[in-house]
Amino acid sequence: MLAASLHLSHFGAMVFFALLVSVAFACAGSRNIQTRIKYALWCFLLFLAIGVGIAWLMYPLSR
Amino acid sequence: MMATEGSLPTSGVKQNSANSAFIAMAAWIVPGLGHLLLRRWARALGFFLASAGLALTGLALRGEVFSSHSNDPFGALGFLADLGSGIFYFVARIFETAGPDISHASGDWGTRFIAASGIVNLLGVIDAFGIARGRRG
Repeated sequence: MLAASLHLSHFGAMVFFALLVSVAFACAGSRNIQTRIKYALWCFLLFLAIGVGIAWLMYPLSR
Repeated sequence: MMATEGSLPTSGVKQNSANSAFIAMAAWIVPGLGHLLLRRWARALGFFLASAGLALTGLALRGEVFSSHSNDPFGALGFLADLGSGIFYFVARIFETAGPDISHASGDWGTRFIAASGIVNLLGVIDAFGIARGRRG
């Protein structure tokens, strides 16, 4: 029934994953709305930076 | 029995424990429902959007939904993680008949998305339980 599938690039999937998990972390971690938004943004940027950093570190292994 | 100052009577503690368990169960079955019952609207919406978004995207990417009959430890861990997403796991088990798509990287991402949905919801369950117990704000 769910045969129609979605295709995302690795980067697109990572960005979407980072966004949703950052929202959940911010909901669990902070109390007021302002710190929650800041925390979510910070988590999101860290997810992306670490993800791209690890990708660059692994790049020589792909050759 | 009289309660000492600063403590709850025994029946109050039991009622609080039962209420906390109910909140935790509700939070597991429907992501965000525990927070909704506690009137934490923003947290309820955040946990629901995160968990539902991850689970539905994972299913759309045709990730693997693990069953309880897995023979290897990773499959068993995957089952526990998937089960954490509550109603989305049971809906996925009912409607996912085509199986995982392992011919694309998307299918692999989908498996991670579904497992992450369960983990995120378990985080929400722990948070709701803590609030119900009065340990969190």
